[in-house]
Amino acid sequence: MTTIGNRPQHLTRPVSPTGPTVSARPERGTDTLKRRFFGNSSVALVLFIPVTLGLFSLLVVMPMIEAASFSFYNWNGFGPMTKFVGLDNYEDVVTHRHFSKAVRNSFLVIAVSLFVQLPLALWAALALTENNWGVNVIRTLFFLPYMLAEVAAGLMWRFVYDGNYGLVPAVGDTLGVSLPFVLGDKFWVMPAIMLVIVWKYFGFHMMIYIAALQAIPKDVIEAARLDGVSRWQITRYIRIPMIRSAILITVFFAIIGALQLFDLIIPLSGGGPSHSSHTIVSFLYQFGITRMKLGFGGAVSVILFIVCVAFTIGYRRFLMSRRWD
Amino acid sequence: MKRFVIGAGLLALTTVPSLAEVTVDWLHIETVPETVAIMEAAAKEYEAANPDVKVNVQFLENEAFKAKLTTLLQSDAAPDIFYSWGGGVMSDQVEAGVLRPIGNVVSDGARQALGDAGINAFTRDGELYGLAQNVSQVVFWGNRELLDKAGVGPDDMKTWDGFLVSVQKIKDAGITPISIGAQDKWPAHFYWSYLVVRHAGQDAFNAARSGEGDGFAAEPFVKAGEDFLELIALEPFQEGYLAANYGTASGHFGDGKAALHLMGNWDYTVQRSNSASGDGLSQDQLLIVPFPTVDGGSGDDGDTLGGINGWIFHRDAPDEAVKFMEWYSSKDVQSRFAAGNSYIPITQGAADELANPFFKDISNNINQAKWHAIFFDQELGADVGGVVNDVSVELTDNAISAQEAAELVKEAVDDAQ
Repeated sequence: MTTIGNRPQHLTRPVSPTGPTVSARPERGTDTLKRRFFGNSSVALVLFIPVTLGLFSLLVVMPMIEAASFSFYNWNGFGPMTKFVGLDNYEDVVTHRHFSKAVRNSFLVIAVSLFVQLPLALWAALALTENNWGVNVIRTLFFLPYMLAEVAAGLMWRFVYDGNYGLVPAVGDTLGVSLPFVLGDKFWVMPAIMLVIVWKYFGFHMMIYIAALQAIPKDVIEAARLDGVSRWQITRYIRIPMIRSAILITVFFAIIGALQLFDLIIPLSGGGPSHSSHTIVSFLYQFGITRMKLGFGGAVSVILFIVCVAFTIGYRRFLMSRRWD
Repeated sequence: MKRFVIGAGLLALTTVPSLAEVTVDWLHIETVPETVAIMEAAAKEYEAANPDVKVNVQFLENEAFKAKLTTLLQSDAAPDIFYSWGGGVMSDQVEAGVLRPIGNVVSDGARQALGDAGINAFTRDGELYGLAQNVSQVVFWGNRELLDKAGVGPDDMKTWDGFLVSVQKIKDAGITPISIGAQDKWPAHFYWSYLVVRHAGQDAFNAARSGEGDGFAAEPFVKAGEDFLELIALEPFQEGYLAANYGTASGHFGDGKAALHLMGNWDYTVQRSNSASGDGLSQDQLLIVPFPTVDGGSGDDGDTLGGINGWIFHRDAPDEAVKFMEWYSSKDVQSRFAAGNSYIPITQGAADELANPFFKDISNNINQAKWHAIFFDQELGADVGGVVNDVSVELTDNAISAQEAAELVKEAVDDAQ
C-alpha cells in the first residue's frame, strides 16, 4: 500500500513552489507540433489516458484496495483469506499497548518538522539566496544529506551515536562527561532521531525557499530599499509574504513526510528500546508485517491513509487554494 | 538451406536428452564461504551421479529470506527446497497447503538416520514435510581469563542462585558480566525461554501453548520472569545494551569486554568475525557453561533450548528434489560439514566427525536431553513468538513486571486461537 512509502516518493513529485516560477507558454514550434498531432483533444485522451489509468489502477489503486480488504480478515499471508473478523483488527490497533506511543511520536516528528526544521530552512534560504560560488558551496553542503539514501543516512548516524566507538562518546570524553547511549535510552532516542530528520530534510525545504525567493521580482525589493525600508522589514513584509505558496507546500510535505516516516527509524533504533521510538509506519511494519498479521497491518495502513487523505483534502481546500496576489 | 535444416536437426537431437532433465531449485541462507563451498560441491557431485537432475543452488540473505518467503512460496518462482526452522512458521505453511508431504518418497533408512527428534521436528499431523539437517543449543559462552580474574568457575554457575552470585562477583571485579544484543530482541528471549524450560518443563509448555488452564499466565511462567528480573536487578549487561544488536554484542564478547554471552553454538565463529581485531577469542580462551538449573522447577535439568533446522519442500517440488535431499542428509555428506565445523549435523554418526570440542559437548547435551525445546520465537510462530521477544526485552528494561510479561504472552496465544 502506498502509505508504506517513504518521504522521497512524495517529495519528488514535481512542484512549482510559486506561481511566477512556472514557465510561460510553450514555444511556438512545439505549439504547432501539438496542434498538428493532437489538435483534436479526444485523440490525445484516447492515446494517453488508458495507459496512465491502467498503470495507476494496477500499481496504486489495486494494492490500496487489497490492503484495505486485508484489514477485515485475520490473515497471515498464506492462502486465501477466510477468517472474516469485521472491525476487530481496527479495535486491536487502537487498543494496542504501543499504538498511542507511535502516534505520539509521529506527532512529535510533525511538530519538530514544522517548528524547527522549516524555520531553520527558511533562515538558511534567506541567508543563501544570492548566487556566488561560496554560497553555492554552502547550499550544496546543506542539500547533500537529502540526496543520501535514508537507510545509508540511518546507518551513518547509528555509528555517530554508537556509545562505544561513535562520535558522541568521543565528544563526551573531550568534555570530560559520560554521555548516554542515546539510541538505547528511552528519553534520548526520539531527540536523537529528530536531529537526524532535521539534518536530512531541512536542505530540501531550503532549496524550495531559495527557488521561490529568487523568483521575487528584483524591482520590488529595490523599490522598498529606495523607500528606506530596513532589511528586516523587507524580509518580514516583502520576501516572506511573497513566498507564501512555497511555505504552504513545504508545510504540506513536512506533515505528510512525518506521518510516513519509516526508513530512518529502522536502521537507527528499529523502534526500540522497548518500542519507545516507533512511528505509525514502523509500528505497522513491526506488528503487522514481521508478525505476519497482515489484517492488523492493513488496518493500520487504512487508518493512516484516511488521516493522510483527510489532511490533504482539507489542507488543499482551506489553505492552498487561496490565491496569493 | 539444406545445411541449415541438418544443423537444426542435429541441434534438436543434441538437446533431446536435456528435455528429460529435471531442475531442482534449492534455496539456502548460508553465508559462511567454507560451508557454501561444501554445499555447492555436494550439488555438483549429485549432478554428476544423476545426469538427469540439475541442482540450481540459490541464495537469499537471512532477513530477506524471512521477509520474502511468504510471497515467494505463492508465486511461480517458488524454490523446490528451502531452509526452515520448523516450529510455528512451518505449521502455518502446512496449514496453507504450500508444502509438499514427502513421507512416500523418504526411505526408512533415511528416517532412522535422522532419529526421532529430527523426524518429529518436521512432522505435522502425522505427515512428514521436511528433512532435519542440524541441531543447535544455546549455552553461556565464557571468557576463561575474565572468569578466572573474578574467581568464578563453571561449577559456580550450575544453579540460578549460584549464577546470580557469580554475576555479582564478576561485577565486583570491575568486569562487565554479560554481553547481550537486546535491540534484536531474540537474544533476550533466550533468558526467559530457558527459565521457562527449567520452571515449567515440556508438559506445562505444551499445555500453555494450546491455551489450557491459565496458559502462559500460570505460575511457572511468572516465576521464570521473576528469576530473570533478579538477574536484571544486578545490572549485568554492558552499557547501551538496548541499542546493541546481536552482531555488536557478539563482537563485544569476542573483544574480551564481557565475561559471558548467552548464545547458540554458532557464536563460536561469529564472535571472531565480529570482534574488532577479527580474531576474537580462541578455543583455549573459551569455555561453555550450560544454562543454570532452578530449584523446584518441573523441567528436567538436562533439557536444552536451541534449534532443529532443516529443509522443506514446496508443494510442486518433484520427487527428484526429495531424493536429492535424502542423499544430502546421508552420513557421508553431512560428515563433511561436521569436519568443517560448519554446524552440528543431526544425521546419526555424522557428528562423530566434529573437530570442535564445544560442538561435541553440545551434540551430546542434545542427544541426552529429554526435551530439546525449539527457540520459542520460532516454535510459537511469528506472532506469539514476536510477543515473547518483546516482553523479554521489556523485562531487561524493567518496563513490565513478570506477571505482565506472562499475561501478554497468554493474550497473544488467545488472540491467535
